[in-house]
Amino acid sequence: MSADACGNPAVETEATMDRRLKYDRSKACIKCKINAGRIVVRHAVYCKDCFPTLLSTKVKRSLEPHINPRTELSRRKSLKASGNLLIGFSGGLGSTVLLDLISKIYLSNRNELRPQDPTDGKARGGKDHPRNEPVWQKASMTDRGDEIKSLMQDKYQNLELIALRLEDAFDRKWWDQVGGRASTDVAIDVTNEDLYSRSISTSDMSDPIQKLRSYLSALPTHTAIDNAIRTLTRLLLLHTARRTQSSHLLLGTSLTSLSIRLISSISEGGGFAIREEAQEEWHPGNSSSSLPIRLIRPMQEITMKECSLWAWWNDLYVIGKEKRPGGKQGIAALTKDFIVGLERDYPSTVSTIARTCAKLAPKAEAVGSCILCERPLQPGVQEWKSRISIRATAPSSPSSAPVLRSLAPLLCYSCHTSLTSRSSKSISTKSENSPTPLPFWASAHLNALNTVNAKDEGGDVWITRRVGHNEMKGAIGEFLLE
Amino acid sequence: MSFRIMWSNQTFPPTLIMSSITLRVEFGGGLELLFSNIKQHKLTLPSIVPSNNGTKLNGEVLSGGETKPADVEYLMHHLRDNLLQERPELFMEDNTVRPGILVLINDTDWELEGEGEYALKDNDEVVFISTLHGG
Amino acid sequence: MAPKICALCQNAKAILKRPKTGQQICKDCFFYVFETEVHNTINEAKLFSRGDRVAIGASGGKDSTVLAYVLKTLNERYDYGLNLFLLSIDEGITGYRDDSLETVKRNQQQYSMPLKILSYDELYGWTMDRIVSQIGKKNNCTFCGVFRRQALDRGAALLNVDHIVTGHNADDIAETVLMNIMRGDIARLGRCTSIVTQGEDTIKRSKPFKYAYEKEIVMYAYFKKLDYFSTECIYSPDAYRGHARTFLKDLEAARPSAIIDIIHSGEAFEIREEIRANQKAQQTCTRCGYMSSNDLCKACTLLEGLERGMAASGITDRARKKLDAEGPAPDNIRTIPFFQPPSGHPLVAVETTA
Repeated sequence: MSADACGNPAVETEATMDRRLKYDRSKACIKCKINAGRIVVRHAVYCKDCFPTLLSTKVKRSLEPHINPRTELSRRKSLKASGNLLIGFSGGLGSTVLLDLISKIYLSNRNELRPQDPTDGKARGGKDHPRNEPVWQKASMTDRGDEIKSLMQDKYQNLELIALRLEDAFDRKWWDQVGGRASTDVAIDVTNEDLYSRSISTSDMSDPIQKLRSYLSALPTHTAIDNAIRTLTRLLLLHTARRTQSSHLLLGTSLTSLSIRLISSISEGGGFAIREEAQEEWHPGNSSSSLPIRLIRPMQEITMKECSLWAWWNDLYVIGKEKRPGGKQGIAALTKDFIVGLERDYPSTVSTIARTCAKLAPKAEAVGSCILCERPLQPGVQEWKSRISIRATAPSSPSSAPVLRSLAPLLCYSCHTSLTSRSSKSISTKSENSPTPLPFWASAHLNALNTVNAKDEGGDVWITRRVGHNEMKGAIGEFLLE
Repeated sequence: MSFRIMWSNQTFPPTLIMSSITLRVEFGGGLELLFSNIKQHKLTLPSIVPSNNGTKLNGEVLSGGETKPADVEYLMHHLRDNLLQERPELFMEDNTVRPGILVLINDTDWELEGEGEYALKDNDEVVFISTLHGG
Repeated sequence: MAPKICALCQNAKAILKRPKTGQQICKDCFFYVFETEVHNTINEAKLFSRGDRVAIGASGGKDSTVLAYVLKTLNERYDYGLNLFLLSIDEGITGYRDDSLETVKRNQQQYSMPLKILSYDELYGWTMDRIVSQIGKKNNCTFCGVFRRQALDRGAALLNVDHIVTGHNADDIAETVLMNIMRGDIARLGRCTSIVTQGEDTIKRSKPFKYAYEKEIVMYAYFKKLDYFSTECIYSPDAYRGHARTFLKDLEAARPSAIIDIIHSGEAFEIREEIRANQKAQQTCTRCGYMSSNDLCKACTLLEGLERGMAASGITDRARKKLDAEGPAPDNIRTIPFFQPPSGHPLVAVETTA
C-alpha cells in the first residue's frame, strides 16, 4: 500500500482536519454571559471571574468520586478519606498549580474556592488526619532544594515537606525506612535479552548515587532513560505514601501532559496498562490485605494553557523541573513536541486522545505485576516477542555459568523493551561483566519469588527459570520437519 | 511622541498619524531567559511597518501596499531580531510564536483579539508566556 | 573496519543491518527471516485453508509487488495449496495509476498470476478526476477511500474469491492506531490491529505483512531486484495523516522497535464492555446491499451526492440536511449495482496467461 494519505482503504472519514475559528461565535463569557471573555479554552470563552470556578469544578470532578474508599458518585455523601494526603511536587507548572488549587479548595480556611454551603463536608486533612505532605523528587544535577524549601515556608506552612531523591530507590536505608522487605542486592546483565540476574554483595556497590548512575548508564536509549526516571519517581512516591499512611497520592498531570503520556506509553508498548496512566490503585507489598493507595491526577481535565494562565494571574512562582541533558531525542520528548504542536492548531485533539484512551481496557487478565514498575503484567510477552522477530536460527547455547534467573518473564512489555531495545546509536556503556543494580523493590520481588522455591537445607536453593522458546527448540530441533 | 504628516495608500484618511507607539512587553514562564533574563520591557514601534515584517529600521518612507499597521506579528519579529539573545527557534517558528507559548494582549488571550493580526495601540501590554518551562 | 560476520548464520559476511531488530546479517539470512516471519504470521493466525482462492490487492506499489512475490514463494515452499490472483483498482486519476498498472501487468507475467483490473468508472460511473473537478481537492480522500474499499470487495466477488490480502505493513498499522486515537475513532481502534477482518456480508480480508517493517519491504525488493512504482497521490492534501506519519518516523528513529511496540499496544487493549454495547449494529445498505451502519452505505451516500450535484452531502451534516430537504432521490440517477457476496460461480471469467 502506498505510504500516503489515501493508501489505506480503511480511511472513510476526512483525512483533513479543518482549521476552524478559535472560538465559537461571541466573545462574551460562556458561563456568566455578561463579562468580556479573557481566555479561550477549546473553543469556549471564559471571563476572569468565572475562570477559577471552571478550574475548581474540573478538579473536584476528577478527584472527589475517588476520595471515599468506595467510589462515590452521589454528591450528597460527605468526603472522608481513609488516610492522609500526599501531593507529588516536581517544581513544574502542573504540580505548582495543583498545590495551589488543592490548598485553596480543600486546605485553606479562606473560602476562596469553596462553595458557600457549610455542610459540604470537606473532611479531608483538616478533620481526620491533619498531615498533608508535598513530596519533592530531584534528579541528580542541580539542587533546587533551597528554592522549594522557601516556597513551602512562604505559602504552605500547613504542609509537611518530604524530600526525595532518585537515588533513594537504590538506598537500603531508605528502603528500610519505608518498610520494605529485607532483600539482597540483585543485579542484572543487560547485554542479553534474557536479563539474567544474580545477587551481589553489598560491598560491591553501596553508594546509592553510584548505583543510580550505573543503572541509568546501562539503558540503551534516551527513551529508556526517560522511562526509567519516570518509573523510579512514581514508585518512590507510592512507597512514601505508604510510609506516611496516605490513602491518596495526587500528581499534577495536566490534560496536555496526560495525552502526551498516553501516546508516549503506547509508543513504548505500554498499551496493556493504558488505564493506569490516568489513574491507578496500588497495593503496598503487593498484598491485597491493606487498603490500596489511589494515585489520582486531579488536573487531568485542565490543559497546560489553563495552568499557565492560572499561574500567571495568581502570581505563582514556577520553579521549573530538571532539564535533563540529551533528553531531546527520547520518545517522550518527541511526543511532547508533536502534541503541543497539534494542540495549537487542532485544540480538541488533546482531549480526544484522553477521552479515547479512557474507553479502553486490557484485553487479557493480568498475571501478577511487573517487578520493575509494579503495573499489571500481561501474559505471553516473551512468547509474542520471539514470534514477531526471529533473532536466532540456531538454538542458543546454554549458559556455562551456574543456572541464573532470567528477569524477562517478570517484566511487562514496556519495561523489558526499555531495557533491551536498542537504537542505531546505542548509549549503553555496559558489558557482560559489569552487572547493573536494580531498585530495591525489584530486588525484593525477585527475592520473594526465589524464596518461594527455596529449599532450606544447608543453603541449597532451587532456582527456577523460565525455559525460553529457543532453548526448547534446541532440545527438539532435530525432530522438526520445518 | 512626534508627529509627521504621512501619506499612505492605506484606507485611513491622510490625517495626523502618530508615527510611533509605546508598548509594554513582558515575558513569563522562563521565556525571559532568552531575553537577557529581563521580564519587563518597554519599547516603541513605528505605527506603520513593512508588511513583510522587515525589522531593519532605516527611516525610508514606504509606499502603500508594502505596509501595514504595526501588529503583534510584527512585534514578534521585532523582538526576535532586536531583543532576543539566543535560540530564536525557542521563541518563533513559521512566522508565529512557537507552539506552547501563550500570548496575552492587555490581559486577554490573543485568540480573542485576532492573534498576530491584532493592530497594536499606544500603551498596549503584550505578554508572552511559555507553558513548556519544566511543566 | 573489519568485516562483520552474519549474526544469524555466523558464516557469511553481514551486508545489512535489519531495521526491525538492528541485527547485522547477510542477504540470504535476511530473505530467510523476512519470509519466515510472514509465514509465521500466516500460520499463527491460520489465515488460509487449502484450496482458498486469494486475491492480492495489487497497486503496483512496493507493498503489493513484494506481497505477491512472497505469497507465491511461500505458497510453493510450504505448499499452502492456494490459488492466487492479482486484483487491481483504477481510480481514474490521470498519471497516477498508469505506471503502476503497467507494473501490475508485468507482475502478472512474472508471477504467472491471473489479473483483474476494475475501474471506478466501471463500478460507479465516476473517475476520481471527475469527482475532484466537482468537489475540489478538499474531501476527495473520503470518496477515494470509501470507493476503493468497496471496489476491492466487488472485484473479489466477481472473481469468486474467498479472501483478499492487502499489503498493509507494520508502519501502516502503527500509524492507524495513532490516528484512530487522535481522532477518537473508537470503533476502528478496536479493529485496526486485527490481522483479519470479516464482516457478515464482506469478504475475508487480511494483512500478512502486519509485522513487516516498510523499510524491510523496500530492502527485500531491492535485494531481490523486484520493480515497483512509488506514487504519491496528486490530490492528497495537507492531511492530518501526514502529521502522524512524520511523527511515527521520528519515533522509529529514536527507537526502531517503536513500530512493533505500537502494534503490541494496539493488540493489548480493547474497547470497554459498556462502550461496546452502545455501538451501532451493522446492517446492509438498502440500495446496494453492502455492509453499512445506516440505511444507505457510505458509498451510496457519496454517490447520490455526486449525482445530485451536492457532493458535500456525504461529508457534512448540514449538507445532508439540505439534500434531504430537496426530496427523495430521483429514479434516474446512477447507483452502484447490488453487491452479491461470492456464491461459488464466478460472474467473470479471468484469463490466465499460464
